[in-house]
Amino acid sequence: MTPAAKADAAGQATPAPARFDAIVVGGGPAGLSAAYTLAAGGASVVVIERGDWPGSKNVMGGLVFSQPTSQVVPDFWKEAPLERPVTRREMWLTTGDSVLKAAYESTDFGAEPYNSFSVFRSRFDKWLAAQASAKGAVIITETLVEDLLWDGGKVIGVRTGRPDGDLEADVVILAEGVNPFLAEKAGMSQGVKAEAIAVAVKEVLALPKEKLEDRFSLGTDTGAAFEVVGEITGGIPGTGFIYTNRDTISIGVGVILKDMVDRAGAAYSLLERFKAQPQVRRLIDGAGRREYAAHLIPEGGYRSMPSLYGDGVLVAGDAAGMVNAVFSEGANLALLSGKMAAETVLQARGSGDYSRRTLGRYGDLVGRSIIMKDLKTFEGMTSLFSSHKHFFSLYPQLASAAVKEMLTVDSLTKADKMHLITKLARSQMPTRRLIKDLWDGWRAFS
Amino acid sequence: MNDRLPYDDRDWTPPKHDVTAQLGVVKFKPDDTAHLEIKDEQVCRERCRRKFCTHSCPAQVYRWEEEEKSISIAFEGCLECGTCRNGGCPYDNITMRYPRGGFGVQYRFG
Ligand SMILES: Cc1cc2nc3c(=O)[nH]c(=O)nc-3n(C[C@H](O)[C@H](O)[C@H](O)COP(=O)(O)OP(=O)(O)OC[C@H]3O[C@@H](n4cnc5c(N)ncnc54)[C@H](O)[C@@H]3O)c2cc1C
Ligand code: SF4
Ligand code: SF4
Repeated sequence: MTPAAKADAAGQATPAPARFDAIVVGGGPAGLSAAYTLAAGGASVVVIERGDWPGSKNVMGGLVFSQPTSQVVPDFWKEAPLERPVTRREMWLTTGDSVLKAAYESTDFGAEPYNSFSVFRSRFDKWLAAQASAKGAVIITETLVEDLLWDGGKVIGVRTGRPDGDLEADVVILAEGVNPFLAEKAGMSQGVKAEAIAVAVKEVLALPKEKLEDRFSLGTDTGAAFEVVGEITGGIPGTGFIYTNRDTISIGVGVILKDMVDRAGAAYSLLERFKAQPQVRRLIDGAGRREYAAHLIPEGGYRSMPSLYGDGVLVAGDAAGMVNAVFSEGANLALLSGKMAAETVLQARGSGDYSRRTLGRYGDLVGRSIIMKDLKTFEGMTSLFSSHKHFFSLYPQLASAAVKEMLTVDSLTKADKMHLITKLARSQMPTRRLIKDLWDGWRAFS
Repeated sequence: MNDRLPYDDRDWTPPKHDVTAQLGVVKFKPDDTAHLEIKDEQVCRERCRRKFCTHSCPAQVYRWEEEEKSISIAFEGCLECGTCRNGGCPYDNITMRYPRGGFGVQYRFG
């Protein structure tokens, strides 16, 4: 069977034309958003995905954000396989035995057009592929793209791992995710740097629906999301996360790869440590493990971005380093960049000119969009966390000790307590250093 | 890759946790050919004391075999994350590719 006849996510065999207007490598949010937009715009497009179905290789915490997603598929929440709308977000600062919490809750987030949903990528991406396929995109699965085809300096197609598996097109969109093998081969990406990448491990834990709702104080149509920093990552820059699904909990940690390796650390050990935190253990008690997963997150932001375009080729999503590390948002930027890549191709199609100059419009679109603005804003964060490791150990300890002191009722006056807290902070960290940290942190954010 | 090697004058100790139970609930479609390879076994033997990959790989694919003095590769349990090619081996001594199309890990949730 030819790969094209093997065909699409909806299951029908679509006879493939000999060549396509566009080939998309990778069936994640970036690639599928590009394919959806291209097909809807009347272009012939094929998505090549290495997994058995789009999503079968993909992992996220994670939350799909409503606004950017509905820019690609309007009213997606009516059909898409979603777990829970997130109506409460909590930030936890942990020490070994205590948690300092900040929470935001909104009933608004639980009604149309919503803000975000917890999802499983294996299901969500499959659904998104079916939407693109309904618009006319061809989805080829179980096929690894191994190389690009070149004519001089111009990309003219791809070589897949199948016999007679060459495919040609006017343009190739690389949406291959965080390990950009092809963009590296093409000299567009320098690869990801260990200090600018997080390794994340995650487990899906099952709990009966009523029990879950009871434990997390949720209704049937509300959900909670937790970002956790502090001692759980053992002083390695990183965060933990917990998301509620219908009748499962997604729990995981992500830490900067370089710092983890420097200490010969292991991500799964940190996850065990996180799960053993007393306040976390209570939430997941008795919940059985359904899946374990590992994935990388490109967190270098603006500075680690590759070339976004060349002759006959565009790069989108994680492959282009488009992740807002601070809020772990990436799927939204992937969706948006895929759409912009597609719009650029649709315009180039009018003139039949797919040169670097014409495709440069994609760079302009991305540059003017929220993608670049966000990436620039948070550009310094990753390196900041890496060079200020005490953000992840000492500060949570100090903050927690301060609150504990204030809340403990004993014979000291509150003024005495304030004095004690300041003394404690000073003994741990010279004042000059504290001020410098505040300054660095403020600069990274502004 | 890495400009700076991590502190490496301590001998290898085995990982504190075992991920066999974790991997037991993951669905795999293993290929019969490996997609992972050590570039130069001498580097593992003689330069890398800490055997970083035995800790950094989330699936514990790499194990140090004390008797053979080499790293064994259980590629069937690879989660295809890419840690080992992006600094998980600070000596850049591992070639990682994706498995052939249709093989490898198959997430049901993801
Ligand atoms: C633990 C974790 C939590 C996260 N949480 C969030 C969150 O809450 N919200 C959020 O918005 N983002 C989150 N992200 C980030 C988000 O998952 C990514 O930014 C997003 O998936 C990027 O989409 P993409 O399409 O660029 O890449 P991917 O989703 O990785 O898709 C790439 C696709 O290409 C395929 N592929 C790769 N190479 C080839 C090849 N050579 N041939 C054929 N197919 C190929 C892959 O199989 C895959 O399907 C999280 C990430 C992780 C790891
Ligand atoms: S593969 Fe790399 S990390 Fe593993 S033992 Fe060899 S040199 Fe060390
Ligand atoms: S890709 Fe990830 S899971 Fe596979 S061997 Fe490398 S580090 Fe281990």
